[in-house]
Amino acid sequence: MTRQSSICTYISRISISLLLLLASVSTQAQGFLKLQRDTVPFFRGFAVSADLVGLVQMQVSDYGQYEGALRINLHDQYFPVLELGVGRANHDYDEVTDLSYKTSAPYFRIGADVNIAKNKHAHNRIYAGVRYGYTNYKVDIDCLPFEDPVWKTNSYFRIDGQQCSQHWAEVLFGIDAEIAGPLHLGWMVRYRTRLAHDEGIIGNTWYVPGYGKQDTSNLGFSFNFILDI
Amino acid sequence: MRMLRLLPLVVVVLLQFACSSIDCPVDNVVEVNYMVKAFDGDNEVADTLKDTLNIWSRRFDGTDTLLYNSGTGVKSFSLPMSYTEPEDVLVFKVTDTLHVTQTDTVWVSKENIAHFESVDCPTRYFHQLTAVRSTHVRIDTIIINNPSVTYDSSVKHLHIHFKD
Repeated sequence: MTRQSSICTYISRISISLLLLLASVSTQAQGFLKLQRDTVPFFRGFAVSADLVGLVQMQVSDYGQYEGALRINLHDQYFPVLELGVGRANHDYDEVTDLSYKTSAPYFRIGADVNIAKNKHAHNRIYAGVRYGYTNYKVDIDCLPFEDPVWKTNSYFRIDGQQCSQHWAEVLFGIDAEIAGPLHLGWMVRYRTRLAHDEGIIGNTWYVPGYGKQDTSNLGFSFNFILDI
Repeated sequence: MRMLRLLPLVVVVLLQFACSSIDCPVDNVVEVNYMVKAFDGDNEVADTLKDTLNIWSRRFDGTDTLLYNSGTGVKSFSLPMSYTEPEDVLVFKVTDTLHVTQTDTVWVSKENIAHFESVDCPTRYFHQLTAVRSTHVRIDTIIINNPSVTYDSSVKHLHIHFKD
């Protein structure tokens, strides 16, 4: 476990360094936040999108999310974003630990992306962005009876509707490519970190709607179907 | 072509996803830690029990089990707690060098709090000590120093004083 953790930490550092390097190169080359002066109007419309990764997760595993987003296009450079979704987990009694875990709750993320591509008005875009996310959710945890190894009594553990909440931040990098007309496809890699969380008396939660599983990886990934209007 | 230049980054990112792993705490033993103490005036100081110490639990069904076996020169020791019983009953047997055994009973009252980490990790119980009492054949007194019993093995929960 220790060796795997250090490998993961090492790979995390490489990934984040590469992301920062890309942002740094783009910044030096063209002025990261400087509005390009040209005849293109400031308001360029908006886009709606749906995340396909959460959808697939929901079908093939015991957790996932349905998520959509609204993105406003300001001069093909700045993109204020609102992401809304519903995250669900339904982990039936685990074969090893006999634990079940259920939650279902809405969440939102708000933030902005910057198009860091050299040609801002091209059909394809490269994004760097930040998000703030929040969810308020309830958790049901149940455990089949298990024996106390010393006192030999049977223990039973059940929590219904534990109220939890979490605030988190994300730094992300992504690509958006035009396929045909208003139809775009894009992916985003998200580095997430918890800002504040409240899990009540239970200790920790396993799946947080919109944030994902609380495991050793801080990375998330989304693949978006986008209509650019 | 520009997209192709991002290929190494994509590969590194995909490797990240392969790194997700079960994150159960390695130090996941919940035990109550006893420190042997003596009074020096009003102050508590570390002490050593020179006689031999054995500790049994008394189960709900009337049977018992050995928790601590033949400790000598004892300065501290750790004992498990029952998961859900409101009170644990322990039997302390102290045998001196002349093979004379003296027996005390200790009652440890507590609140039990189920602790969840992940569906991949077994459930544990944390405890909040509420009261400790004992007979006084060989035990002088037991004091709650820190009532919170969790994964933290460095916490000294109870101070136990033996009679000379």
